[in-house]
Amino acid sequence: MARMTGPTRLPRIVDVLIVGGGATGAGLLRDLARRGLRCLLVEKGDLASGTSGRYHGLLHSGARYIARDPQAARECIAENAILRRIAPATIEETGGLYVATPDDPDDYVDAFADRCDAVNVPCDDEPLAALFRREPALNRQIRRAYRVPDASLEPWQLVEANLRDAADRGSQALPYHQVVGMERNGGFVSSVSIADLRSGTIERVVPRIIVSAAGAWAGRVAALAGIELRMSPGKGTMLVYNQRMTDTVIARCKPPGDGDIMVPVHTVAILGTTDIPVEDPDHYEVTPAEIEDLIYEGEKLFPDLRRMRILRAYAGVRPLYAAAEFARSGELAGGDRAISRAHAVIDHESRDGVANFVSIVGGKLTTYRLMAEQTADVVCAKLGVDQPCTTADEVLPGQGSGRGYYWLGDRLAAHEATGGGDAALICECELVTRPMLEAFLDERMPCSLDDVRRGTRLGMGPCQGAFCTFRAAGVMAARTGGTVAAQAEPVEDELVAFLRERYRGTRPIAWGRQLQELWLSTGIYWGALGLDAFVSPGSEAGDGHG
Amino acid sequence: MATADVAVVGAGLAGLTAAIRLAEAGARVHVLAAGHATTHWAPGGIDLGALPDSRTSQEAIDRLAMVPGHPYGVLAAELPAALAWLRAVLAREGFELEGAPGDPLRAIPTAIGATRLAALLPAGMAGALPAWAPDETLVVCGPAGFRDFWPEAIAGALRRPSSWRGQTPPGRIEAVSVELPGLAGRRNLSSLDLARLFDDPAWRRAALEGIARAVAARSRAPGRVALPAILGLNDHPAALAAAREILPLLPFEVALAPPSVPGLRLYAVLRGALRRHGGRLQVGEAVHGTIDAAGRVAELRAPAAAREFVLSAGAVVLATGGIAGGGIVADGPATLREEVLGLPVDGPPAGNWLSDDALSPAGHPLETAGIRTDRHLRPVAPAGSTADGRPIAENVRVAGSLLAGQRYLRERCGDGVALASGVLAARKLAGVAR
Ligand SMILES: Cc1cc2nc3c(=O)[nH]c(=O)nc-3n(C[C@H](O)[C@H](O)[C@H](O)COP(=O)(O)OP(=O)(O)OC[C@H]3O[C@@H](n4cnc5c(N)ncnc54)[C@H](O)[C@@H]3O)c2cc1C
Ligand SMILES: Cc1cc2nc3c(=O)[nH]c(=O)nc-3n(C[C@H](O)[C@H](O)[C@H](O)COP(=O)(O)OP(=O)(O)OC[C@H]3O[C@@H](n4cnc5c(N)ncnc54)[C@H](O)[C@@H]3O)c2cc1C
Repeated sequence: MARMTGPTRLPRIVDVLIVGGGATGAGLLRDLARRGLRCLLVEKGDLASGTSGRYHGLLHSGARYIARDPQAARECIAENAILRRIAPATIEETGGLYVATPDDPDDYVDAFADRCDAVNVPCDDEPLAALFRREPALNRQIRRAYRVPDASLEPWQLVEANLRDAADRGSQALPYHQVVGMERNGGFVSSVSIADLRSGTIERVVPRIIVSAAGAWAGRVAALAGIELRMSPGKGTMLVYNQRMTDTVIARCKPPGDGDIMVPVHTVAILGTTDIPVEDPDHYEVTPAEIEDLIYEGEKLFPDLRRMRILRAYAGVRPLYAAAEFARSGELAGGDRAISRAHAVIDHESRDGVANFVSIVGGKLTTYRLMAEQTADVVCAKLGVDQPCTTADEVLPGQGSGRGYYWLGDRLAAHEATGGGDAALICECELVTRPMLEAFLDERMPCSLDDVRRGTRLGMGPCQGAFCTFRAAGVMAARTGGTVAAQAEPVEDELVAFLRERYRGTRPIAWGRQLQELWLSTGIYWGALGLDAFVSPGSEAGDGHG
Repeated sequence: MATADVAVVGAGLAGLTAAIRLAEAGARVHVLAAGHATTHWAPGGIDLGALPDSRTSQEAIDRLAMVPGHPYGVLAAELPAALAWLRAVLAREGFELEGAPGDPLRAIPTAIGATRLAALLPAGMAGALPAWAPDETLVVCGPAGFRDFWPEAIAGALRRPSSWRGQTPPGRIEAVSVELPGLAGRRNLSSLDLARLFDDPAWRRAALEGIARAVAARSRAPGRVALPAILGLNDHPAALAAAREILPLLPFEVALAPPSVPGLRLYAVLRGALRRHGGRLQVGEAVHGTIDAAGRVAELRAPAAAREFVLSAGAVVLATGGIAGGGIVADGPATLREEVLGLPVDGPPAGNWLSDDALSPAGHPLETAGIRTDRHLRPVAPAGSTADGRPIAENVRVAGSLLAGQRYLRERCGDGVALASGVLAARKLAGVAR
């Protein structure tokens, strides 16, 4: 860890300090900025590197919650419609199909459409002939299918668009800044210590209100203010396939369980999820048993699944909130999925006697805006601000005029429209060109190759970075003149860190073609390119997430 | 049905070596390969052995030969003759292999600005072998905008003394990019495209003159210039001679990420040698066979699109290249299968295949997985079985990185093992020639 120094400057004063740069925090920054407040958001990693950057990618229609949580289903479909309006460029209009395999319970299948009706989720019968024509890889024993307005939602662009709107109104977001301490003055948090993780300096901020939008980490942030908040982080594992065996979101007509949804995301498709309670949101592993479980269930949707190639496995942690009342009433039986996925705005004034501290916990990415709105209402009430929420009506920046939803061919079309062949293609799988990479770097330097991945999708396609990583490192060095000063880490170290991070995702699924691919990429970097010269023994990053 | 004296499975260094040796000895040889081999991926030198603390390849070879189960236990003695043979095959096409197993291992710059240890390099790369003098300049020079070679990044990383593995670096390291004739704005050329351009005498003269000007502006002698390995594909000897004549400093080629131009040159020479001796080569055939009750493999089958292809042969050389080559496949997280004959695979227990750290210098336990053989390179029954150590297929020989007990990336012995086992397998089967 870099050196830490004490506070040197006068503390920065802001109206609201938001802890956490996931979808919720970003949405809240936008909402409050639009109501005229000056806010600061701090995020300990890169923006959207927490659960928001490690989720399944589904813009829920609400159909998944019709039986267990009708309230959540209603919220989902309402927000689904709003996001289609305000953030179309982050959405691929895949549609969703809920299908009944022989393993799914008849009563659930039969009641599906009525339950959708009851919570206003549009639902149409999909004729089986049309279903199999459209999605030929599906199990032919599927006996019924319903079409619902699910979609695929890109988290990084969504977060970025929210932050840009806030920035236009004078509110700032700082990545790689961690809240490390809070000073309590009776029933009030008087100042907050924030560590700049890249320079090692600590800054003191004096906010009128602090909002923790720290997701699965909310318990830890509350603890810094001396407040006990019990979270119940639930790990969910997902498998990334090297192809889109479906162009539609496919889910099973049954109560939510493991391995029952496939979401097409850009050039790949993602099968998920599992749900396993974890103690520590920073340290968890993907286990072989989970992977077997996912594939076993997934085969009921796609019988050939075992023969398809998995590119990587990854996991995220659900920010589930274990409200004490919930636990006491014994409703936790049935595993984590029984805990409400709906969110809660917790005003620690009434609950814990801390007047200027609020937590927003739980929820889904789909409902991030609603969560932000409800939280902002509480904050504004405390500050006596009487401005209405406008985030549901105003389109986010960067959505283009009438550009509409994105589609798989977008990048290729854009590439061709701008002269096509001339721009160097750095990542061939995801069509990331040198100008795209340079634009990202110019805006975000200093940043890591892993930030580049989230920002541009570089290295997320079938080769998983084998062919583009060193190219990206080359562009980075050319852009900074290779100087260490302009760069968070020397580019060589970046390369090592990036390859280690990609390995975390391939290791649990390293067999078949993927094992061969691992052997080839190791051969390229270690054998042909001599990467071992950059590796000092024992230098492995021990960080659990990312 | 096709027939041959010997069927060779795999078109990498091991399979081609065995095939050429057999063809030279008069056997009718038929090579079948599912696809192109490591030659198209690997860095282009001939790695016989290098350990982090070995001074020479020979020292590494001698030490590896003492490791129980390492292929060099049997093969080390074959190496000198095998190497002499390879030099002769290459020389016939105007290719030279410089350096010797007894020379000190040198830190050779790579396309990410790291170095790798090597002692034996083709002439185009050999300029990097002599030790660097403190007053020497290294100019890293590449075509502007070429995606696989970034002079600034390479020079930046090479300026870190730690990149040189304890050896003396050049006194000065410079980076320069050059716009090559007619390529302005063409940003998606591969190393193969560029290498083919260097086959053209007129174009390459203009290109080399441009490079010479840029290099001269950056540095005076003494020094050397590092170029990406693109100096000609089909006419490399002439392109290299022109570069040495026109450039103000001694040029050397730097290995790139795949596709490997030096590897393709090697492949072309070997393929030519095989054809000259009447051997046949068929790429695109993934084959299977069975061991009959008499412990022999009589034929190999490739399921072709229209009709099954069958090759009947008196003997088989299996050189399918282990996990990277496709000869060994993991069907799941716990089972290893040998693709062609279903031979027992010797490897670490399931659950202990991979190390926690992607880049642990010790490598992954699974790297040693492969086919165990006797001294005649015949596959043997698995350890612990009643037939432990006894051959299970009389007329089959195993060669190359399919052999168990090596870690070619950590020991840098992959080419040496391939070469020596190819030569030995051919000698063991020489009797089947008519
Ligand atoms: C496996 C899985 C699949 C899911 N699938 C879906 C889906 O398909 N559709 C859907 O709508 N929802 C889905 N969800 C839920 C959704 O991902 C989350 O509800 C949502 O991303 C939470 O966003 P957030 O901003 O609240 O939390 P996060 O994105 O986790 O943001 C919290 C941030 O706070 C930061 N932080 C923590 N402590 C500090 C500190 N001290 N200082 C500074 N920063 C700090 C963290 O680094 C983190 O980035 C899924 C969740 C999981 C786990
Ligand atoms: C990227 C990479 C980098 C490397 N770097 C180094 C290094 O730095 N140092 C070092 O010492 N070694 C290195 N090696 C290893 C070294 O190159 C090999 O060990 C050596 O070339 C020997 O190869 P081989 O002939 O045994 O097999 P390969 O070159 O792997 O060839 C295998 C052949 O078998 C064919 N085949 C496979 N299955 C079938 C089937 N069922 N039917 C038909 N044909 C089949 C394949 O298509 C291919 O033609 C590297 C390897 C790779 C892949």
